Amino acid sequence: MTDTVTGAAAPALAPGTSNPRRARRPRPRRRRGGLGSASRGTIVALVCLLSLLPFIWTALSVTKPVDVAFANPPVLTYTPTFASFENLWYATDFYKYLINTVIIAVISTAVALAIGLPAAYALSRYPGPVSAGLLILALVFRALPRPAVVLPMYEISKQLGIYDTTWAMAAALIAINQPFSIWLLRNFFADIPKELDEAAMIDGCTRFQTLRRIMLPLMGPGMLTAGIFMFLFAFQEYLTAAILTDVNAKTVPVFIATQLGQTLPMLQQAGAATMLLTLPVVAAAFLAQKYLVAGLATGSVKG
Amino acid sequence: MFGLLVVPLYRTIEWSLERVNYGEAGTFVGFDNYAFALGDPRFHSTLWFTTGLTIVSAVVIVVLAYVLAIFVDGLRRARPLVLGIMLIPYVLPHVVGSAAYSWLFDPNFGGPAALVISRLTGQEILWFTDAWPNRLLVMSNIVWSMLPFAMLMILAGLQGVSEDLREAADLDGVNAWQRHWHVIIPSIRGVMGFVGLILTMDIFRVFDNLIPLSPAAVQIGNESMMLYIYNIAFREGSPQLGLGSAVSVLTILVILVLLYPSIRGILREASGRD
Repeated sequence: MTDTVTGAAAPALAPGTSNPRRARRPRPRRRRGGLGSASRGTIVALVCLLSLLPFIWTALSVTKPVDVAFANPPVLTYTPTFASFENLWYATDFYKYLINTVIIAVISTAVALAIGLPAAYALSRYPGPVSAGLLILALVFRALPRPAVVLPMYEISKQLGIYDTTWAMAAALIAINQPFSIWLLRNFFADIPKELDEAAMIDGCTRFQTLRRIMLPLMGPGMLTAGIFMFLFAFQEYLTAAILTDVNAKTVPVFIATQLGQTLPMLQQAGAATMLLTLPVVAAAFLAQKYLVAGLATGSVKG
Repeated sequence: MFGLLVVPLYRTIEWSLERVNYGEAGTFVGFDNYAFALGDPRFHSTLWFTTGLTIVSAVVIVVLAYVLAIFVDGLRRARPLVLGIMLIPYVLPHVVGSAAYSWLFDPNFGGPAALVISRLTGQEILWFTDAWPNRLLVMSNIVWSMLPFAMLMILAGLQGVSEDLREAADLDGVNAWQRHWHVIIPSIRGVMGFVGLILTMDIFRVFDNLIPLSPAAVQIGNESMMLYIYNIAFREGSPQLGLGSAVSVLTILVILVLLYPSIRGILREASGRD
């Protein structure tokens, strides 16, 4: 089932690299009976607008003066102000939560790669059954209901005295996301021909030296893709953070969620925090698009 | 590293057979927790809500994602821009995206979507406190946040459909409907199946989206499986850790059943290759 997809699909999808087969000959006209290209363009544009609408509305709400920010009916003419951002910065510990989120994401990404690379390399050089077992494990662990692992982690972290620390949170995320990262990296290793290893070993490299000197330089895109996904998963995680953190290690998604049930200034702070989080994500969606798309194609389609 | 998952998982199975509090040793009660859950009306409504939400949303997403992928596949220069925009709801933390989404529908905060819909229908719809409107709201939000993922996967699949096959179909004079139904969809069956599987697993475990979108979930019967476990085993006054763990184990069983066809496929492929 899965093999039919990758190979052909993954590389061709990266934007900027067009399908060679298509480049060679003109695209055949085969749109008879379908929608005209103008209406198709309109629908795509509409979907883009719908994707962005919540953020456009939030951006408007947080630049309004606080008394009309969430007025009903909405106020559409106003003098923009950045007071809610100042308010967010000075009245809350937002910067602390932001730093926590970044620390947790960086630690869990770094460790996941450090463990994942050798593991994935070894697995990619093993034949069938072991890989199939790993794929099944990655699939099952990816599908686990979070509370089944996080509630026991909560109790264990309390017993060990590491509850509400960024370290405990990072460790939990590494455990939860590692199977997926190993699987993703394995697929990238599998694309590197085995003959390269053999040549290096004949020249006297050990396995580890082969990995470090020959494989790592070729694994740039794979490491970047896996790294981006690990970072993303850590940055998005809500349920785990809601259970494993309290005051000290709180992350931004948890902060925003707790502000929601509150009254006006706090709600606008949540909106401002949402915008501050959205902007880097917009940048990432464009700059790292190639890797996000490739990661979805290589990692998810196969596992 | 797998140990970090296996140890907690073992503990959950142990807890599911006990009456237990955090930090204390539990008393073994056999399958009492399971029996209680299976007889609990709150568990029933949770199960039906989650299953219904999963099936309906997954079908809607797959259909919309296919149509959208066909449209985006026809784009050339605008493609990176369109993909970038559509990736935003997928990449943002779901709890944050859903919060922004909820503001569109909250008339107390002048939500434009709520306003427009009440103008069109002539009624005030209680999006957050009425069971069915809230279900629609949650479903539309799940479609909004998961559609990009499904679209990207199907788009990837479309790149593998051979151009020759499409041309051959064209020469045979098939119409648009036949081309999609008999030519393109059968050749990306694998991807469609996989997208359906991932969507099913992810929507069945929905949690983040409900925090901003369904603050009254417990009262109106819109609790998802994960929210139910979180509420009874962690959030509420006297946490019922044993019961929550039993529901976790039941959820794992459901997911294993859902995964069974793919697991069998993987095993068959592995043994066939050697």
